[in-house]
Amino acid sequence: MSFLEGKIYFVRRALRNMRQSPFLCVAATGTVAVALSLLALFAVIVFNIQQVTSRWSQEIQVIAYFDEAPQGETLRQWQEKIEAYDAVSDVLFVSSEEAFSRFRERLGQDADLLDGLPVEVLPGSFEIRLHPKERSRAGVAKVVEALGQDVPAADLRYGQDWLERFESLLVLMKMFGAILGGFLLFATLFIVANTIRLTLYTRRDELEVMSLVGATPLFIKLPFLFEGALQGLCGGGLALLSTFLLHAFFLRRGLADLLLATGGEQVLFLPLNAQIALLLAGTLLGFFGSLFSLRQLVRV
Amino acid sequence: MSIAAATSLDLTESPTTNGRLSVIQLFNVCKSYGREQRALDGVNLKIPKGDFVYITGPSGAGKSTLLKLFYGGEKPSRGQILVNGMNVTRMGGARIAQLRRRIGIVFQDFKLLSSRTVFENVAFPLEVQGRKRYEISKKVFQVLKHVGLEHALQKTPLALSGGEQQRVAIARALVVDPLVLIADEPTGNLDQEVSLEIMELFRTANARGSTVILATHDRGMISRFPRRQVILEQGRLAGDIDSSGVDRLQEAGVA
Ligand SMILES: Nc1ncnc2c1ncn2[C@@H]1O[C@H](COP(=O)(O)OP(=O)(O)O)[C@@H](O)[C@H]1O
Ligand SMILES: [Mg+2]
Repeated sequence: MSFLEGKIYFVRRALRNMRQSPFLCVAATGTVAVALSLLALFAVIVFNIQQVTSRWSQEIQVIAYFDEAPQGETLRQWQEKIEAYDAVSDVLFVSSEEAFSRFRERLGQDADLLDGLPVEVLPGSFEIRLHPKERSRAGVAKVVEALGQDVPAADLRYGQDWLERFESLLVLMKMFGAILGGFLLFATLFIVANTIRLTLYTRRDELEVMSLVGATPLFIKLPFLFEGALQGLCGGGLALLSTFLLHAFFLRRGLADLLLATGGEQVLFLPLNAQIALLLAGTLLGFFGSLFSLRQLVRV
Repeated sequence: MSIAAATSLDLTESPTTNGRLSVIQLFNVCKSYGREQRALDGVNLKIPKGDFVYITGPSGAGKSTLLKLFYGGEKPSRGQILVNGMNVTRMGGARIAQLRRRIGIVFQDFKLLSSRTVFENVAFPLEVQGRKRYEISKKVFQVLKHVGLEHALQKTPLALSGGEQQRVAIARALVVDPLVLIADEPTGNLDQEVSLEIMELFRTANARGSTVILATHDRGMISRFPRRQVILEQGRLAGDIDSSGVDRLQEAGVA
């Protein structure tokens, strides 16, 4: 038997198996689909929350307010000093005047509330922007520590607590996702293995005779491995489709409200590599499900 | 490949009996299933190429176990087994498979696939070996004609009588021109007349060069076709009587 002819023979045998036990075939595919859908839905949610936090963290900066704003030469020296920090990308000095006019702008129609107030009610400040990769708790902490030594008079604001809480929530969600995912994958593997064991059980006469007339273990197993992988791939595809539909019709609106995003368009679907990973996970689940049940049954 | 292996072994282990190559040799073979009493206990045995051997003894004596060891269906707990000069004890799944391609096996319960036709059942061993289609058809038809079932090609086994089913099973064993034909109580489910027809098939197979090893406790059959008998009792070799009625085991014991 030539190599190609051999492959076609295995595929034919696998398809014949599936035709002969359609219920088990559907059961295995369905199990993979349900488990992976749950995982994918969770992944979409985590992924979007992560998107939002990374958008938010773009706005992370440290502001140093001064009761007495530095003047002239001192101002320039401090500014240069802070700009020289590794984590800092640029430093903007906002004088009391500028802060006042910004505030006035923001108030819009209600700007007349400020009439009669002295400009000095608003303190002058440094707005210190960080390099993108430093826009995290650690980056902020570094800058804050250095500022504490170099400009002791300043009152520092940086929203660190808030960021910390949000990040730990995200870590918690990822951990939960990993545990849930691990559990789901394990359960799926178990169910798929058992479903395939049932197909093997219904064909045990054939397996026995095959082995008795000199079929190699690999020859016996290949069609079942192929069958398992194919069913897993189909399950993964179904999971991808159902997650996509759920995302398009429900999740978009729901998540947008939840995450205070301005529109549904900002709520993304899984990135391409996650989609491929999902299909791959299905295929591997089916393959290893078959392999495990075969190891127990075909002891040839 | 096997001939070469057997020949080279000829020089080192002299696997001959009466000047003929041994196709099966057992050296002090023991087999126990789990913790139970031994199914086989210290069996030494040589079966020359081309022989016709009965394995006899009461039910539970270890006949089926012995046959399983021949084709790698079970591994011995102790001892060595050479089949056609190759050590079965050390073989993995793939090599056992290669060995079985040269062994025909027939069971009391036929083990035919009821979802396949007679033709497909007999073609199965050749299909597994990846033979060419036209070669398979030619060979299968030839063998089915030999066992007298060429008219039943497209039937399924369940549409046939017990004797006919056993003939299909024998055709499946013969289709590979086996070096060794192993049968475990092949006539156990059949009546006298049909059994004789089946025995006739084993005799022709033997005449055509296959070594035949047949487990049975049917004494009538043995006296009708007297051949060498290997007698088992509780897993031990209790006698080895050649076709003229001489117990070689006792002779060896006396000498
Ligand atoms: N698969 C098995 N598991 C456990 N015990 C077995 C198995 N096969 C056979 N035996 C035991 O081994 C002994 C020999 O059995 P067997 O070889 O079938 O004898 P026979 O074929 O002569 O009737 C019996 O005691 C039987 O119960
Ligand atoms: Mg038996």
